[in-house]
Amino acid sequence: MEKKRILIVEDAAYMREMLVEMLEQAGGKYEVVGFAENGLEAVEKYKELKPDLVTMDLVMEVMDGIQAIKEIKKHDPEALIVAITALGTPDQRNAALDAGAEEYLWKPFTVKNLFDVLEKLFGE
Amino acid sequence: MGTLAKKLNCKFLVLFFSVLFCVVVTVYFASKGETGVYTHLFYIPILLAGVWYHKKAIYVALFLSLFYILVTCPLTPPLTPSLSVAVLERILERSVIFVAVAYTIGLVSEKRAKGEERLKETKDYLDNIIASSADAIVVVDLDGKVRSWNKAAEDYMGYTAKEVLGTPNKRFFADPDEAERIAEIVEREGELKNYRTTVLNKAKKPVRIRMSAALLKDKLGVPVGTVRVSRDVTKEEELEEELEERKKEEREKIKKERDNLNLILETLPDGVYIVSKDYEVEFMNRTLIEVFGYNVGEVCYKVFHNRTTPCPLCKQEEVRKGETVQWEWHSRKKERTYDLVETPLRNIDGTVSKLTIFRDITERKRIEKKLRDAEERYRVIFEHALTALCLIEAGGRISLANKEFEALSGYSRSELRGKKWGDFIADEDRVRVQNYCAKRRDGKAPACCPFKFVSRSGEIRNVQSWIEPIPGAEVEAGAEVEAGTEAGVETEPEARAGKGSKRCIASLLDITELKRKEDELRETCEKLTELDDMKREFLNVAYHEMRSPLAPIVGYASLLERCELPDKGRRYIQNIEQCAKELEKMINRMLELARIDSRKIKLNLKEFSLSDVVQEVVKGFEPEAAKKEQKISTVVSEVGEVIQADKQQVVAVFSNLISNAIKYTPSGGRIEIRVDRVEDRGEEVRCCVADTGIGIPAEDLPKIFERFYMVDTSLTRKSGSLGLGLSIVKEYVKLHGGRVWATSELGKGSKFFFIIPKRQR
Repeated sequence: MEKKRILIVEDAAYMREMLVEMLEQAGGKYEVVGFAENGLEAVEKYKELKPDLVTMDLVMEVMDGIQAIKEIKKHDPEALIVAITALGTPDQRNAALDAGAEEYLWKPFTVKNLFDVLEKLFGE
Repeated sequence: MGTLAKKLNCKFLVLFFSVLFCVVVTVYFASKGETGVYTHLFYIPILLAGVWYHKKAIYVALFLSLFYILVTCPLTPPLTPSLSVAVLERILERSVIFVAVAYTIGLVSEKRAKGEERLKETKDYLDNIIASSADAIVVVDLDGKVRSWNKAAEDYMGYTAKEVLGTPNKRFFADPDEAERIAEIVEREGELKNYRTTVLNKAKKPVRIRMSAALLKDKLGVPVGTVRVSRDVTKEEELEEELEERKKEEREKIKKERDNLNLILETLPDGVYIVSKDYEVEFMNRTLIEVFGYNVGEVCYKVFHNRTTPCPLCKQEEVRKGETVQWEWHSRKKERTYDLVETPLRNIDGTVSKLTIFRDITERKRIEKKLRDAEERYRVIFEHALTALCLIEAGGRISLANKEFEALSGYSRSELRGKKWGDFIADEDRVRVQNYCAKRRDGKAPACCPFKFVSRSGEIRNVQSWIEPIPGAEVEAGAEVEAGTEAGVETEPEARAGKGSKRCIASLLDITELKRKEDELRETCEKLTELDDMKREFLNVAYHEMRSPLAPIVGYASLLERCELPDKGRRYIQNIEQCAKELEKMINRMLELARIDSRKIKLNLKEFSLSDVVQEVVKGFEPEAAKKEQKISTVVSEVGEVIQADKQQVVAVFSNLISNAIKYTPSGGRIEIRVDRVEDRGEEVRCCVADTGIGIPAEDLPKIFERFYMVDTSLTRKSGSLGLGLSIVKEYVKLHGGRVWATSELGKGSKFFFIIPKRQR
């Protein structure tokens, strides 16, 4: 089975590292193909890398996550995006889903939480 | 010639010839020389002239004497001088006698002639009177025969004087004996006056006459007949009869009217009495008798005042002068006050009685006094009210103001009278307040209206005003103008235009100070709200910022758990995870409360089975309960009860309550969840979570739903809660329109209740 290619959009370095570590725990199912530190970068990276999935932090400098989701979706309506945020209000969640995110992951989350979401998306 | 013939009448010729005879005799005897007795013949013409021509006889005497002297002297022979003197003497003597006789006779006969003339005149006069008298004058002699019958008698009897003179008068009377009777009375009494009888005229028709008669006597006082003066009174009597009849009718009518009047007076609620000029009560109606009592024949001063003499305040005199008098009288005897109207009443016999009407005004007086008292009461209230009060006339002028209004306006009460109400309103508010007043008069505006009040010194005071139209004080436009003129102020045209506008009372409260404080307060409040918003925003950000570092803690812990670790390390990781979870829970609760406070929460309404929710929640807590060996039981009446609510919130409510129950109940305790309907209120469900825990002190019960409440600090710390759970429970239940409360018995357990409607509106 082919590895799923994942783009991580996250402004905090320790969070990016943590996500990489977590995805490695899946035993080679996922491959992190790139990182972006803000929305604008994320859109460029998406166009360049064409990943199977994007994990998108919502609160970022330059361009926030919601805007980035919209831009990516505009470029590729088939794009799979998981929004990840600490802002736990339903409004935030709805905003992300409306923009085109497939799933929503609350901070804090465990390895298991992450895998549950990914497995659901990739239909395993 | 004719006049001469008249003058030369018979008497003149006789006299002329007798004088001529004397002349001839004188000449004859003188020629014989005799101066003898023949001169006695001279007395014949002198006497005749004296009788017929009165004093003119003296001329005859003088003529004859002179002639005698002239003839005798030359013809008589002069015998001796002495003899001549004697003859002359005798002649002269005779002449003087002639003249004296002539004068005397003339004087006497002249007097007699004058008397006769007067007598004749008188007779003519009387005849004229008799003839022209309107009354019939008839003279009847002692034999009863008519001797005189004048024109008036002819007129009403139809007989002419010629026909009746000398005939007996008996036949004229309807009763033939009447003539005898009249004659007898006249003879006996000497006269008869206004005697009425009936005669028959020529046509034999009866004529009523009134007759007066007197005895007629001759110069010697011997009765010769009677003179009767009579008049036809047939018409007069008819008229009199008619008059009498009419008078009788009139009297009856008056009597009837009086009776009717009395009947009316009897039934009047007012007292009525009529008193004669002698104070005798002629009439008194029932109303008055009932109050004062009355015996027939009593005098008024006895009845009303129990006096024996007329009262000093009696109005009899004025009334008898024709005046109507009105006055007030208080009867001390009856303790009542009367309004009296006394008026003259002219009686049939021409006397004047006094009619008095008593109106009992005791009650009116009492009411008037009561009204005065009430007015005084309200005046005191008005005067001492703590708000400024003024009465505004329909024309917009102030007519009355109280002490407070004086203080507020800076004007004295007398200065305020007639002042324009609008002058006290600041320019910018005037139109608004006047519009408000107009609407208020029609009852179409709210009770109060704030505005800026301008006092005498020009100081602006903020006032709250209440304008109240005075009911029943509708004023006509015309009357208003009059009132305005009377008060010496001209009425504004705009006021006149508003026909039927009302007076109103304005009550003003100086709220300047209040308004200043309010403004301060509002400012403070705004600042605080701003601060609160800032704080909320800050907390919101702070809570989120607190969540961010939790993410790597939880994430790395979950990664670490997958590594190969000694048992000790694994335990540490588990503790870290446990703490992180608690921290997250706490932060979530704080966030939720912040969200509720900022009213951002909307109910996500869905229909679901309450029973299912309870089972679900209980199932989630079973492991925890099992750890403490607690038994959880549920009693849900009418299993499958479906309600419409925010499921998440209902779950949170149950979770919080059950979680608390487990926490505060020692091992081996019991927890019971009960759901039932509220009796009589089928639209609501009541839920109860009961435990056998440590309980809550009664004084703390009302506070437990407040934020960060802790029953016992040490205990709470042991149990690890910040007391936010119950606050969220309360808020969620409130959001559903329900309520929450708790009962507890210290050391035995607590019961938490909440009620929510089955359906949201």
